[in-house]
Amino acid sequence: MRFSPLFLGWGVLVLGMTAMAEYNGWSLARINQVENVPKTVRDNPGAYRSTYGYYNRYIGGK
Amino acid sequence: MSSPAVTPPVVKAKALHCANCGGPVELRGFGHTLSVVCPQCHAVLDVSTPLVQILQRAQEAQERVHPKIPLGTRGQIENVAWEVIGFQVRQIVVDDVPYSWDEYLLFNPYYGFRYLSEYDGHWNFIRTLPLVPESVAGARPALRLRGVTYKHFQHSNATTTFVLGEFPWRAHRGETAAVDDFIAPPRMLSGERTDGEVVWSLGEYWTGGQIWKAFQLPGRPNPAVGVYANQPSPHHGRAGAMWRLSLWMLAALAAMMFYFTVSARREQVYAERHTFSTGTGGEPSLVTPVFELKGRPSNVELQIRTDLDNNWAYFNLALINQDTGRAWDFGREVSYYHGNDGGESWTEGGQSDSVSIPAIPPGHYYLRIEPEMDSKQASSMSYDVSIRRDVPTYTFFLIAAVLLMIPPIVSTMRVGAFETARWRESDYAPSSGGGE
Repeated sequence: MRFSPLFLGWGVLVLGMTAMAEYNGWSLARINQVENVPKTVRDNPGAYRSTYGYYNRYIGGK
Repeated sequence: MSSPAVTPPVVKAKALHCANCGGPVELRGFGHTLSVVCPQCHAVLDVSTPLVQILQRAQEAQERVHPKIPLGTRGQIENVAWEVIGFQVRQIVVDDVPYSWDEYLLFNPYYGFRYLSEYDGHWNFIRTLPLVPESVAGARPALRLRGVTYKHFQHSNATTTFVLGEFPWRAHRGETAAVDDFIAPPRMLSGERTDGEVVWSLGEYWTGGQIWKAFQLPGRPNPAVGVYANQPSPHHGRAGAMWRLSLWMLAALAAMMFYFTVSARREQVYAERHTFSTGTGGEPSLVTPVFELKGRPSNVELQIRTDLDNNWAYFNLALINQDTGRAWDFGREVSYYHGNDGGESWTEGGQSDSVSIPAIPPGHYYLRIEPEMDSKQASSMSYDVSIRRDVPTYTFFLIAAVLLMIPPIVSTMRVGAFETARWRESDYAPSSGGGE
């Protein structure tokens, strides 16, 4: 059996990254982080402007 | 291999005069030599009897070929000292294209004769066989020798185009032989048929570097070009080893997936039903009560279930940390359509959706929800929103499985490419419907 240390290293890296991603709850979802949201949003939700407020949505149906 | 090298005694070569030009000719092959080529005029001389006769005169236009290993050079192969005493160039013609290779005759008085062949930087150390290989039944001709099966590679008619030195047969230019090559890399079994007689020989692949070292030749050998018939594959055994290692890694990945699946807490921190309708004129956005996320940073799964029917809704969402003011802002679309088209029912989309929000640290949070629907028509819906933390996801496991399989797939493709290149030069080239 011809052992490939490069492939073993690649495998360990992939497995390690997967474990880290799962443990930390990483996700591929398209999500923005916004800092310093004012506390007044809690009382006045309409004051918050969403990043995705003007999302180009597909209107389905055949 | 550990026995001492068998070196032929240093004896004075027998000398004679060329019957054509009168020049001196040396004989190194003791009493085995039947023909020798005069180094001055290239006439081929029959030296089997004391009366030296001319077998073939040199053609004036004949191109002189200089062997890469000069005649008289001694080298160690498999712990035996061999002396180069003869050299010939042989040629086959395939599809009107001539292919030439060099053959060196090696001699040791205790071991007899061996051959070295060289084509485009690929070398073979060849010995004649005292036995005839067995034929193996199958779709393609094959032979078995000492438990190894050799596949037929090529049939050709070889013609000698140049000779130099001495030979234990009456070698001459224009000598022809029908050659069949069978391969089991790194070995090649060759049968040469001349005048109803078949001589079998077994060659073993050597690199130019090994030959240069064995004969202590100056400089460096020409690099090997292409893939030779019995050249051992540099990828041999590697693909299988990589697949075995890949399977172990996939098993480890499956074990890891099982662990994260059973150890995930799936802790529900919020669940509530809401309603929304267009045309009411009020503020569409709302915020949920504050809920607490405990423990280590983990993902948060948000799920929306609606009662949409041939309609769509869009949700602007923000998970806001009440303590730090940091928000995770995103949007989700839910649409569900169905109908009947030409007697065939169809559906599109779904009434629910979920998203995994990554690595949310512990703290006090609330969710801002701003639903939208088609403002051109009166629409309403009710929807359930639920939030859970530490929920297992499988996307990264799927990606990891693909990444773990890429190297063995690439290795397998390289093995295939090498074998395709090998068999491209055979009678079973892939383009002619055969190949490996």
